[in-house]
Amino acid sequence: MIKAKHQPQEAAVKFTMLLAGVVLLLMMVFGFIMRAAQGGMIEIDQALFYQIMTAHGAGMVGTAGLTGISILWYFTGRYVPLLAGVFWTFLGLFLTGVVLILGSIFIGGYAGAWTFLFPLPAMSGGFWSNEAAATFLLGYIFIGVAFLLLHLEIARKLIAAYGSIGGALAWPLAFGNGRAENAPPPTVVAAMASTLFNVMGIVVGATVLVSSLVNLMIPDFAVNALLAKNMIFFFGHVFINASIYMAVIAVYEILPEYLGKPWKTTRPFAIAWTMVFLFVLAVYPHHLLQDVAMPAWALIMGQVVSYLSGIPLLAVTAFSLLVYLRQSRVMYWDLASALLVLGVAGWSIGSAPAIIDGMIAVNKVMHNTQWVPGHFHIYLLLGEVAITFGFMAWLVKDPREKGLNILDLAGFAVYLLGGVGFTLMFLISGALSVPRRWAVHVPEWFLQDRLATGFALLVILGALLFVVSYAQGLRKKRTR
Amino acid sequence: MKPPSYLVAILVVGFCFALRIPLEADPVSHILVQLPLLAWSGVLITPNGTGRRSEWNRGGVATLLVAFFTIIFWMLPRSIDAVLSSPTMELAKFITLPFGVGAPLAIGWARAHPLLRGIIKAEVVSMLGVLAFLYIHAPVRICNAYLVSDQHRLGYGFLFLALGLSVFWIAPLFIVHTKRAVMPTKTPATA
Repeated sequence: MIKAKHQPQEAAVKFTMLLAGVVLLLMMVFGFIMRAAQGGMIEIDQALFYQIMTAHGAGMVGTAGLTGISILWYFTGRYVPLLAGVFWTFLGLFLTGVVLILGSIFIGGYAGAWTFLFPLPAMSGGFWSNEAAATFLLGYIFIGVAFLLLHLEIARKLIAAYGSIGGALAWPLAFGNGRAENAPPPTVVAAMASTLFNVMGIVVGATVLVSSLVNLMIPDFAVNALLAKNMIFFFGHVFINASIYMAVIAVYEILPEYLGKPWKTTRPFAIAWTMVFLFVLAVYPHHLLQDVAMPAWALIMGQVVSYLSGIPLLAVTAFSLLVYLRQSRVMYWDLASALLVLGVAGWSIGSAPAIIDGMIAVNKVMHNTQWVPGHFHIYLLLGEVAITFGFMAWLVKDPREKGLNILDLAGFAVYLLGGVGFTLMFLISGALSVPRRWAVHVPEWFLQDRLATGFALLVILGALLFVVSYAQGLRKKRTR
Repeated sequence: MKPPSYLVAILVVGFCFALRIPLEADPVSHILVQLPLLAWSGVLITPNGTGRRSEWNRGGVATLLVAFFTIIFWMLPRSIDAVLSSPTMELAKFITLPFGVGAPLAIGWARAHPLLRGIIKAEVVSMLGVLAFLYIHAPVRICNAYLVSDQHRLGYGFLFLALGLSVFWIAPLFIVHTKRAVMPTKTPATA
């Protein structure tokens, strides 16, 4: 076995995580404003509400992708030498995209939601211009190109080091007579699988973005609306799922330091990641269960794969984590380990309401209710974002200190309480058929809205403590 | 015995010239058969190692740019129309595709960084996809010389070519070459 001698690009990733932390906070404030407005606690212009909603959606999905791929880049850099210039180019393109998106929303007035569903960008009813919509779409294209560039560098290095895509996915172990000790580490398997499906998602997304751009400029170039919706949701589903799958690499790499034993690539692990690769691509029709024009087989596939898609990876990640935690005699808790374990728990729990909504019979009545933001806020707020904050805490961790100090404990408790309460309010509202994406709520819905606003404040407070502690940690680490 | 590559190049150009009328009668064979063949003839006449040490072409960027700008010119429907009505443009096509696309592409590709090669491949596939969309959905006739139904067929041709190239480039990457693999393991944590 050859020992790799590569160093991850620490400075670039640390800087990116600081940016991401600040953006996450800002987006959380946007979420807080929306819930407060829905609860009648503040009054904001309805057009502004939808602009904030668009910025919140695009910003959160983009930041989840940014943090996920930064985690992937950091840890993959332990096994293969990655070109530093590619990451900086990625960040430059990403930030250019962000500027275009924010400009299109807050200067151009674009408010067609992060899903840019055709033909909404071109049919604003006078609220925004075609140029504003085009700028928004261009911003997405910049971000897509940035991700493709990074994935290309990761893929070519992994393929060179492990012989092929199959080699990096541990196929000799999964489907052949390969031995576990010769298999690539879990990070490599996860990085290869995530790269594969994210590239496919982004390519499809780029195609529909360019088509929508052409349609904006020359409306006679009509796009088939159902095809466009399929492509958008394929892209959106894959991209947001990829962000979680990429972030979970932090669990495979960091928690073994606490558990005292390495996270190994086993046969079930390798098979699970290959299944995830297929399921992530096949499950997206569960977003289109209300589109009666969809072929029945596609909708049935969406429902059936929904049942299956959560199982393999959760089984090998959540179950393995429980086993590792139970067996470990040296495990200790600090902010990083607590948030990483919370991330796996949030991700696992969040998949339950997702699977429920993935059933055709349920989806008929629940899809346009707050049940849906309920489920995705669980596995983002308590899953991906928790892992992100855990990774940030680990990056600046002082090895001389073990355990949770009072500030960490307070931040964690407040974030957990706020996160659970906030997402529960969404689920309860959804179960009561409160619609999602409505700027104005009737007084009968105010109770959950107001409680959710309070919980959102707690989440922001917790996140603020994490980000401030990270910034202080960066400063301390530099002086150490 | 393998024929010299310049002989194959002459045969390819000769084939394109002799059959230019039937090839150019249909946009699918004109754009997707004749033009690539002419460019390929340029690849064939480029000796291995040409310009490998030249400073002006570091990373193959200069020659790749020549190739891209020439391709952009021939992507314009107006250029294709002109070929069919002007012998001068026809001659320009037979000269610029081998010497302005094929040869510089071969020289540049040999020196291009693997990452740049990957980007170019991705760009080719995505551009073919965009062209497919434009040609299938265009509300107007794009080329004066060809019918709307022809341009639809060309659009599908672009689409199938994009899919074919994707499979051609990606499928080999799935085959496990255990001997090539280095299999690095873990380094100690650095944070």
